[in-house]
Amino acid sequence: MTAQIELSHIQKHYGSFHALKDVSLRIEKGSFVALVGPSGCGKSTLLRSIAGLETISSGELSIAGKTMTGVPPRHRDIAMVFQSYALYPHMTVEENLTYSLRLHGVGKAEAKAKAAEVAQTTGLSQLLPRYPRQLSGGQRQRVAMGRAIIRNPKAFLFDEPLSNLDAALRVQMRKEIRALHDRLGATSVYVTHDQIEAMTMADWVVVMRDGIIEQQGRPLDLYDHPVNRFVAGFIGSPAMNFVEAQIAEDGTTLVLKTGERIALPRQVEPNRAVTAGMRPENLTIANGPPSFHFTIGNIESTGSATYLTSDDGALQLVQSERANRAVGDRVGVSIDPAQIHLFDPQSGKRI
Amino acid sequence: MGRFFAGLRDGVGFDILLVTVAMIFLVAMAGLPLIYNVLMSFQQVDMFTLGSFIRPFAGIQNYIDVVRAPEFWLVTRNTVIFVFFSMAGQFVLGFALALFFAQNFPGASTIRGLFLVSWVMPGLVVGAIWSWILAGDFGVLNTILRNLGIIQSTVFWKSDPAFSIWAVVIANIWLGLAFNMLLLSVGLAAIPRDLYEAAELDGANAFQRFWTITLPMMRSTIGAVLSLGLIGTLQQFDLFPAITEGGPANTSTVAQYWSWQMSFQLYDFAKGATISVMMLVLVLFASIIYVRSTRHEVRG
Repeated sequence: MTAQIELSHIQKHYGSFHALKDVSLRIEKGSFVALVGPSGCGKSTLLRSIAGLETISSGELSIAGKTMTGVPPRHRDIAMVFQSYALYPHMTVEENLTYSLRLHGVGKAEAKAKAAEVAQTTGLSQLLPRYPRQLSGGQRQRVAMGRAIIRNPKAFLFDEPLSNLDAALRVQMRKEIRALHDRLGATSVYVTHDQIEAMTMADWVVVMRDGIIEQQGRPLDLYDHPVNRFVAGFIGSPAMNFVEAQIAEDGTTLVLKTGERIALPRQVEPNRAVTAGMRPENLTIANGPPSFHFTIGNIESTGSATYLTSDDGALQLVQSERANRAVGDRVGVSIDPAQIHLFDPQSGKRI
Repeated sequence: MGRFFAGLRDGVGFDILLVTVAMIFLVAMAGLPLIYNVLMSFQQVDMFTLGSFIRPFAGIQNYIDVVRAPEFWLVTRNTVIFVFFSMAGQFVLGFALALFFAQNFPGASTIRGLFLVSWVMPGLVVGAIWSWILAGDFGVLNTILRNLGIIQSTVFWKSDPAFSIWAVVIANIWLGLAFNMLLLSVGLAAIPRDLYEAAELDGANAFQRFWTITLPMMRSTIGAVLSLGLIGTLQQFDLFPAITEGGPANTSTVAQYWSWQMSFQLYDFAKGATISVMMLVLVLFASIIYVRSTRHEVRG
């Protein structure tokens, strides 16, 4: 695999604000990389730096082997899909699609043919003579995609492209974007604050916070082995439960605040405080001897899943069976000890 | 229509009172004088019939007299020069300044605000100042041009028939610049930034972005600025008495100044009214363009 986009030691300052702190990232050719994190984490700044819309304060950025520092966006051969779509309101769909071709001096007939072809792939064939204001949100989204595809660029950048769509359409467009990426053999960088989008679409997920990369890896690796409490809480829905606990003298027993003890499958440093992370979907209502107990404070059912929340709000459990329980019941819960994540209470690092 | 009015009624007549006050004001202050003026252009008017409403009907004789007047074509030419070059200067320089101040540099909005000074100054004062600047023997402009070596001998801006209309044009460009810049700045600010970013990624250089994004997106603003500019230029009166008084030999007389001269210096009110009606038709034309251009708003 060769790197299509390579970032090394990127720094970005806005006045006194340090937006990107020594970010290094390698994006393989043909891969779909998601940048994910809460707002203000620097993911959009990073994307806009790749596009050249932001200048980086220091560091090295190369696209397809060429150093791009100081190269204006129009010479980077990169296409971007904006959150607002940024369609040209005074141009028809066809003119929007062919804008870049016309700028590069492609002939009228050839541009028209290319637009028809792209419209075919994105399902816009009937809409070519319309203006953006005459289109629905989903159709505008497709035009924005088509405008990116038509140029056959070195990479596609997506800046939260689905956040203006309703939930059902978002799920559908998620699949379409991924399918399009595979068909074109493109390299895509996708910014989102929605970890589900990142998990379902990307081959490689980069979790950012406060201008640094907290963790990067394959989606399921992030889910299975989060390196710190932040990533553990950010990836996965509903979010991971965190409980404060203690390791016993033997180093293989987790002692909960309630005094309940869970045997761990591995040896850790004895007599220390830990934060134990347990995913709601890994907790089950015990048939045999339970790991620990909690009192149900709230029951929510979506039909396919039931969410049980403890009365102190600290724990949540998801089960696929309907709950034959009531609020106020005390239930025994079991968890495979191998699925318990341990974090340092101070640094948040994985133990 | 009946339901439309029903929705506006409050049932106790206060609404009618409000509408009536506004209508009386409109009719008394704008409607009647306008009708009176149009009527006068079709009548024989002299000092003795000035006070009466019904006067001998003249048909289109006043219009024929105006067109046949020896200075008519000179005044028309002057008006065209004045309107066209004032508007062109105001628009091009105003657009350039608006683009300049749209760049984010420290103090951009403050300096742009200072430009409005030219807008709050009364036309007569502006005229007086430009009259000094353009003065042939002691004017600043001549001194600068001479020291730069652009001219050898003194140019009599205000009294040379070849330059007199241009003297007023220059002053008028300065006077209308801020208004143009302000309106165009607002139009520029309304164009979303991400359109430029998308165009930049699509491969457009600064010049192409201006032609393919800025200009088309500014269509309605430009239409408004140009039609308001036409109205403003046809209205411009103060600069003429302050700078050239229409002279020498009518070489800087424009329609609005001629109309005033006819009515209030020669007391030929019929011809004065006739000229103003001819201008009214032009302004109406501009208003139609203005209304149409704002109707065709193109926004996402």
